[in-house]
Amino acid sequence: MTFRQFAYRNVVRNRRIYAAFFMASAFSVMVFFLYSMLLFHPAMNEGFVEEIATSGMLMAEFVLFIFTLFFLFYSMRAFLQARTKEFGILLLLGMARNQLQRLIFLETMLIGSVAIVAGTSLGFVFSKFFLMIVKELIQVPTLPFYFTWQPFALTIGSFASVFVIISLVAPMFIRTGEVYDLLQGESAEQDAYSTSKWRALAGIVLLAVTYTMAVYATNLYVIRVIYLLPAAAVLGTYFFFSDSLPYMIQLFRTRKRLYWRPFWLLSLSEGVVRLKENARMFFIVTMVSTLAFMSVGLLASLTSFANQYREINPLGLVYKSYPGNVLEQIHVRELTDELNEKDIDYTVVPFRVLQQKSSFTDKNVSIVRLSSINALGYTFGHDAVNVKNGEALFLPQSESSFEQLKDHSVKTSLEKSNLDVTISGAYPYRLFPPNAIGANAIVISDEDFDRILMGEDGSTASLFRYYAFNIANWQETKDVGRALHEDELQSILLGGETNTLFSFGNPGLNYSIIRTTFSLLLFMGLLLAAVLFLAAGSFVYFRLYTTLDRDRRQFDVLRRMGITDKELKKIVNRQLLPQFFIPWGVAFIHTAFAFLALQVIWDALAEISIVTELTLVLGGFAILQISYFYLIRWRYLSHIRTPE
Amino acid sequence: MARKIVELTEVTKIYESKVMHRALNRLDFEAEEGEFIAIMGPSGSGKTTLLNLISTIDLPTYGRIAVNGVEPETLNQNELALFRRRHLGFVFQTINLLQMLTVEENLVLPLTLDRVAVPEMKRRIAELADKLSLNDILSRRPDELSGGQAQRTAVGRALIHEPELILADEPTGNLDSKSARDVLELLSKINKSAGTTIIMVTHDPLAASYCDRVLFIKDGEFFNELYKDEQRRTFFQQILNVLSLLGGNVNDLSSVRLP
Repeated sequence: MTFRQFAYRNVVRNRRIYAAFFMASAFSVMVFFLYSMLLFHPAMNEGFVEEIATSGMLMAEFVLFIFTLFFLFYSMRAFLQARTKEFGILLLLGMARNQLQRLIFLETMLIGSVAIVAGTSLGFVFSKFFLMIVKELIQVPTLPFYFTWQPFALTIGSFASVFVIISLVAPMFIRTGEVYDLLQGESAEQDAYSTSKWRALAGIVLLAVTYTMAVYATNLYVIRVIYLLPAAAVLGTYFFFSDSLPYMIQLFRTRKRLYWRPFWLLSLSEGVVRLKENARMFFIVTMVSTLAFMSVGLLASLTSFANQYREINPLGLVYKSYPGNVLEQIHVRELTDELNEKDIDYTVVPFRVLQQKSSFTDKNVSIVRLSSINALGYTFGHDAVNVKNGEALFLPQSESSFEQLKDHSVKTSLEKSNLDVTISGAYPYRLFPPNAIGANAIVISDEDFDRILMGEDGSTASLFRYYAFNIANWQETKDVGRALHEDELQSILLGGETNTLFSFGNPGLNYSIIRTTFSLLLFMGLLLAAVLFLAAGSFVYFRLYTTLDRDRRQFDVLRRMGITDKELKKIVNRQLLPQFFIPWGVAFIHTAFAFLALQVIWDALAEISIVTELTLVLGGFAILQISYFYLIRWRYLSHIRTPE
Repeated sequence: MARKIVELTEVTKIYESKVMHRALNRLDFEAEEGEFIAIMGPSGSGKTTLLNLISTIDLPTYGRIAVNGVEPETLNQNELALFRRRHLGFVFQTINLLQMLTVEENLVLPLTLDRVAVPEMKRRIAELADKLSLNDILSRRPDELSGGQAQRTAVGRALIHEPELILADEPTGNLDSKSARDVLELLSKINKSAGTTIIMVTHDPLAASYCDRVLFIKDGEFFNELYKDEQRRTFFQQILNVLSLLGGNVNDLSSVRLP
């Protein structure tokens, strides 16, 4: 048996232990490869969607890479610690330390290379399917399957370097003490009971403070230190897992009336050992899950923002023409021609917008004629409203500003026409996207409107002419006006914004960009989160495996002592459930509070309900996690039931 | 005549794996209430199989077993577990204390499984701790105990639910001579004072000399039986004589320690 054969056999004969580890690495290689397939796709070099998608994917690749590095690092360390006894024997038999290191290097590289090959080939097999999904999501006509060397090179290169780093660093974890110490094997129980009371307290206090501040994030003082919150949360979480939780369990153990119950005694005492052993891993899993939840939540809220897009942008196309624009008629003709050509039904309502200064607020006010508003409202099927001479209605920007303005009444004089109006109430329907007309807009009667226009300064009062296209099938317009859009960009580039005398807006196009971008990002985020969950689960499994001998002996004691199958399951449940779901639960609470705090920074979040999206996503992950839990419990139970 | 607590009639146990192995062959064995019995025999003679059958964690291939008047074959797995929990106590060679529990917690473990009230548990612990002199070490963990202390704890765990029958598998196998004597004297004391039946598998003739009766088996069959003498020293000598007749491997006889 050569040295290499020895390493090979070590791995192959320990395949049950390595299985979960291998699976998780192969899966992350696969996802990494799929991302790179998209990253290097020939169709990915043009346009806005693709740009965001590409940078999103780069981010995802990076996160995946870093995470895999951490995951392998911890798994490897745990694994080597579990094998200290074996290494002790090898050293006793006269193996030199550098030979031991070579052995570990060879073993790691062996698993690594197989995982890379398996992951890449799986990724390649699934890439056509993956590209099909992405094609649907970003709604491009074709996203063909292709074959170049770059994705392969990136994946293999990145992961090969990960495994090389790990296998070079990993041997350092073996304690370089006496052979005798190694032979005694590892007992993690020793330090399981040394929790620091102060750190335990610090963990709880830090988390409590963070949560409270997150709730009161609107408070002026809190906002100043809001950037400290993530750091405090991270530190708090670390202490929580390393000290607070074990300490709380220790406290609980002194309450015999509660503690000395059939299942608690065993499962809690076991739990505290596991918790101590895995505190760092739980911490990482929690932080990673928090990030995953948050990004999923954010993306979900953006997606749901896209869904509410129509309410915010009721118009199909919008064309604005400022005084002096000679191309106005040509442009409108172009647009109508294109719409006709594409067989899209539309009604276009042109109207004039004037600008005056309000004596009351000393701010500019945009003014719209009542008949124009009613004409546009008519196309939506809204009832006409009435405004008498000398009166006016606010034209609210959004639902919430309507609520504010509807009972509001202001007496003001419009300068320079010196027209006195009483603005009371608001126009009840949403016809324009926010700020389309101006931040302050009012509707006045036709006669008053003409009075301003015919007045002394009537010529300067005119602000712009607005062409509102009401289109029922608004999503079909995304290709309409592309030339116009190009012209506008050109003009802004050449003459600056002030010299561009028209502007064109296409909500249909914007919507498709927003929607596809976010659904693509969401999809990638979900895939990434799935990798993380799988890895966290396999780490738990792996930890269970390394203590299997001890657990088997314990089970044997319990069996003789007289434990029924049901009771065994209950005990195992109580041991495993927290390992699976505590990091998850903490991550979930973190996320909830993070969203509370984020609402301050991003107002829109407050108006958009993400309950559905979040429930879907969390529900999906819950199903994933629960089935993984049952899978692992099944394997574990069958292992401890079979005697050595 | 005292009640029979264990009755084996023509028990045969065959392990069928790749090679068929007859571990016990038509063995008859009886234990009366209050007896302290040692089972001796060379390696592979079926001692542990016998103990496992009495423990009800294994069932015989042929023959009839009754423990405490109950035939294990008539019970299902759950009932068996409950039966073991209430009527049997175990002491092992490798001191199988659960590492993450303190001495006190290890002691109450069988009781918690049976949902005994906490004050009752405390009462029994106080009682046992006195008897086994465990008072100073109640809050320690198994890895902070000496071998003797650990085995005393294990005996305590086997006793706490006041079982009718204690089964011990090489309880002194890993102990130094002083701790071994302590444990044996403890078992003997319990046997005398509480009248608990004890069946102990052992290699050690000295350990066997503490018992009322020694059963020798060889290749799964009855070989010989010795009853206690007036003097432990002569009983010990008789045991040694039978062992030399048994002709097991020399290694099976642990070094002789005279009291």
